[in-house]
Amino acid sequence: MTRLQLEIALGTILVVVSTIILILFGFSENRRMTRFEEAQQAHAIEVGAGLFETHCSGCHGLKGEGIEGLCPPLNDRPFFTDRLEEVGWTGPLEDYIIATVSGGRLTSTRPEHYAGQGKPAMPAWSEDLGGPLRRDQIRNLAAFIMNWEATALEQVVLEELPTPTPSPEELDDPVARGRLVFLDMGCGACHAIDGVSTGAVGPNLNQISEVAATRVEGMTAEEYIRESILMPNAHIVEGFPENVMPLNFDERLSQEQLDDVVTFLLAQQ
Amino acid sequence: MIKSLNFQDLRQKAMEAIDNRVRIITAGLGLQELRALMRGDPPTERPNPRYKVHTTSFLFHIRPRYYQRASTIFAHTFHLGFFTAFFFFVETFTGLILMVYYVPSPEGAYASILELMSNVPYGQMLRDMHRLGAEAMVIFSALHMLRTYLTGSYKGDRTFTWLTGVGLLGITLFLSFSGYLLPWDQLAYWAVTIGTSMAEAAPMVGNELNLLLRGAPDIGAGGLLRFYLGHVILLPLAAILLISVHYYKVAREHSISLPARFEEGNVSKDEEKDAKQRIDIIPDLLTHEIFLTVLGIFFLVIATAYFYHAPLETHANPQQTPLDTKAPWYFWWLQGMLKLGDKTLMGIIIPTIIVGLLVAVPYIDRNPHRSFFKRPIAVSLGILGVLVLVVLSYMGTPEYGIATPAATRILQDLAPEEGTGPLRAIPYDQLQQGVYEVNVTEADNLCPGLDFGCPELEAVFAEYGERVNEAMEDGRLPDAQAVLLIEEWQAGLKKITPRIVWSDPDTGETKTYERHIFLHQNRVGE
Repeated sequence: MTRLQLEIALGTILVVVSTIILILFGFSENRRMTRFEEAQQAHAIEVGAGLFETHCSGCHGLKGEGIEGLCPPLNDRPFFTDRLEEVGWTGPLEDYIIATVSGGRLTSTRPEHYAGQGKPAMPAWSEDLGGPLRRDQIRNLAAFIMNWEATALEQVVLEELPTPTPSPEELDDPVARGRLVFLDMGCGACHAIDGVSTGAVGPNLNQISEVAATRVEGMTAEEYIRESILMPNAHIVEGFPENVMPLNFDERLSQEQLDDVVTFLLAQQ
Repeated sequence: MIKSLNFQDLRQKAMEAIDNRVRIITAGLGLQELRALMRGDPPTERPNPRYKVHTTSFLFHIRPRYYQRASTIFAHTFHLGFFTAFFFFVETFTGLILMVYYVPSPEGAYASILELMSNVPYGQMLRDMHRLGAEAMVIFSALHMLRTYLTGSYKGDRTFTWLTGVGLLGITLFLSFSGYLLPWDQLAYWAVTIGTSMAEAAPMVGNELNLLLRGAPDIGAGGLLRFYLGHVILLPLAAILLISVHYYKVAREHSISLPARFEEGNVSKDEEKDAKQRIDIIPDLLTHEIFLTVLGIFFLVIATAYFYHAPLETHANPQQTPLDTKAPWYFWWLQGMLKLGDKTLMGIIIPTIIVGLLVAVPYIDRNPHRSFFKRPIAVSLGILGVLVLVVLSYMGTPEYGIATPAATRILQDLAPEEGTGPLRAIPYDQLQQGVYEVNVTEADNLCPGLDFGCPELEAVFAEYGERVNEAMEDGRLPDAQAVLLIEEWQAGLKKITPRIVWSDPDTGETKTYERHIFLHQNRVGE
């Protein structure tokens, strides 16, 4: 056999083998594409989870549980069953989420329960409307929010990670207890205190005990703080809108919790 | 008339008609001749019809009629030029198909790649082939140049061919680099941001050059469109033009060089005659080239079907600089040089000098000899140059000379921003909810609730602990406390928080570094 004939023979075999490989590869293409789409959806949810934590959890809660008086929950049954009817949206829920996140909300649809962060109640998040998020990011966020459906409809029940019980010193110390109340009640979503929270909707509370003492003639710092929590509109700091801070803390806080959180705030010097 | 036409006449007439048609299509080869070609027989007619093809066929008129035997020796050329051209055709073919699916805008580009991968049969394979072909073309063209340099095949008549070759290497690099941006993922965006920032350092016109390349101060819609058009029109056209010139010179003027020993060594008359013996393109070399093409396609198919997948990171995000940014590997040497000094000097002036030297090689090197042993300086300079490139390339990787804070490094290695990393490779069901603390939690039985335990989670946790303890001992993370927190976050979604708390060695302050990683059960493990 000459080299030429050998090359013709080998080349023919290689063509046949390559064709067979290509055909076999083609048979698995449908499965691969489905798998890729699933993985892409999974990736969208993962990215959405990160975005939610950075941009949304401050108001809608770390796990979408919402904050009473501020922003509605996104992980409960009514959100997945009643919300579209309530607002009269005719498309699918995912599109509603995308539209709301993109455009924000000028005024709250349920001001008595969830007043939002002032005006607008929810800012526009889309890059096209002056927000920080690209379209694909908003789609990822919607994919993440939609993924709450299984737990919201109680098809899946998640185990809670046992929260570490506060140490005895922490429970003895009213400042530490007050810090927990401050966080539990979602105060940190709007008020910033170094090392505790980063909210920027309401006044910064870093030196609140000193500020409070000088705000109103004849009022001690403690009286001023107590009154501002129970009746937020009594003394509005210049530059901040009225009726943004929930008005129902007198119902939601026990006497003990109120004392603790006031003690905690008085410790912020 | 019917009477006089018997079967044999009919058959003969038909064969003549067919033969005539075939001759028109093959530019002169009849049926007999084709048969002889396939069998390796000598030509059936005189004058040799195989030579006629070279004047009548367009595709063959750019090929020479024969090579000298010695220039076809594999160890002399390694077929490097042939395979560079082969990959250029692969790129053109796959690229034309990919263009059908691609959308050159920041909103559409990444989505169109996802669409290609999830909705087009063989879409992923096409992309893999295009990417692999691009890498291969860079490798083969660089090696082709190195071979030409080492065998001294740039002298005399070949000086201008060398010059076009230098141009082609540049075009190949720019073709590859401009294609890098098109998927519009983090890898692409930042590699090209680094690459084009070099232009900014050019003296006098830096700012204008940068604007011209990027279309705006930062790469955006305009920059993407420019890179796209450059990638699919400007650079391919330039490449085709230069390849034509380059090849025509080789084919019609000076042909492929013979190994130097046949030109200037002590070889006998017989040997020399044998070396210069003619080997016809048709059929010997043509068959050989078709065989090599089939071989190349075979390896490309095997590689993309089973081994190689083109990388695709997350959507480009101009707001988030990745921790480890890297230029494409063929520009690592440049990144390495940039670490050594000033951007204008290292990024513009020295590369310009290097290009100038490459262009000038045939004019600087006046030594008429081609043999390895008669040009020791040129050969050792070439080898030295390759070594310097390798060392500079190593210095260009993020491993060299960039100090990342210890805690950041540990978590980046555990769960990199892009790609999988050991943490994300843990099977989903092994991620048992809990708080795992280094040096507190026993690392050998993390999941007593699972029948088969969680060996992968344990291995990753052990590695994490090892890295933290190492950093604690050498003083980078004094009094470190490291935890790995795994929480159920949603149905099918878990949140993993590796967190390191340490006291700063200089100020004594308590510092925390943590990452929040979300893992979905359907994610791909790569």
